[in-house]
Amino acid sequence: MKGPTASWRCVEAAAGLLAPLEREVVLGDLAETDCDVWRGLGDVLGLVARRQLALWKSWRPWAASFGLALPASLFLMGCSVEASAAVADVLREPEQAQLLWLSLFTLFLVISWAWMAGFVIGSVSRATLWASLLACCVPCLYCLSKWPGHGLSHLRLLIFLLPGLWGVWRGRREMRLGLGWAVLLAAMATLTPLMWGKGGWVYGCWLFWPGWYLAATARRKQE
Amino acid sequence: MVGEFEFLILSAAAHLGEEAYGAAMREVIEAKCGRTCSLGALYITLDRLEAKGLVQTWMSAPTQQRGGRAKRIVRVTGEGVRAAREFYQAVIKMSSGTVWGESRRSGLPGDAA
Repeated sequence: MKGPTASWRCVEAAAGLLAPLEREVVLGDLAETDCDVWRGLGDVLGLVARRQLALWKSWRPWAASFGLALPASLFLMGCSVEASAAVADVLREPEQAQLLWLSLFTLFLVISWAWMAGFVIGSVSRATLWASLLACCVPCLYCLSKWPGHGLSHLRLLIFLLPGLWGVWRGRREMRLGLGWAVLLAAMATLTPLMWGKGGWVYGCWLFWPGWYLAATARRKQE
Repeated sequence: MVGEFEFLILSAAAHLGEEAYGAAMREVIEAKCGRTCSLGALYITLDRLEAKGLVQTWMSAPTQQRGGRAKRIVRVTGEGVRAAREFYQAVIKMSSGTVWGESRRSGLPGDAA
């Protein structure tokens, strides 16, 4: 392949989006042909695009990004704000200390729901995580830009983000949970939307599916 | 029945025999057909052909010529030979009696192109 080394590095970087074996083969093919850098880059990016498009023929990326990441980010932002506000209220007015446990419990539900949703996203569609992250980040960024207030109040919107990312990481690695954990999370996933009234739980009912998906695909003991 | 590009890939692999792999097949297709062939189209089509059982592919040992990288070697299976023959015969039959089909036999001007 003709061209300066820096350009070749671009082609190699683009080939990083391919699976390791395919990257090896394609870079080898380009190394022995006499094409220029632009054609090489086109070849690599064309293959990456075709591979990505092929993935979208399955239900998995659609379910992960539009069936879960997008609605879950909206749901969890609302839950994060309510749960953190409840904890903040109790801390501000110590005479309501008896509510502290309830507030901490709701916060715990939000965090574990976010972890579970992240796990399902990571395990359902590993190769299209970028789309799920995009579907999650766009509403977050929109709400952050509209949210009145500064500093810490912004972060209240995103309490779910770190446990969610942790869940994605675990989901990518493990794919399935043990049956006990999966059923526990499924029960919790059913409870969480019900914690929020004013019609929020009706929307939340759509979000029962990740918990029960985990339970349905869980590892059984004999496996 | 295979598609046109699948037929070209099967033919390129058959021409190259033991030396059929991505870069060599692309070179043959471009030289013989006078059209560009992207590696993306080539490998996606190869995957499809392999899924249909028309070719087999495996990784070779790395070579110095390719910067120490392996090749994906391609071999046409018996099923692939049958599928390519079927496509070729369909093209020949469909072309008989047409201007391009007759010019092939009589060597009319334009055939060289």
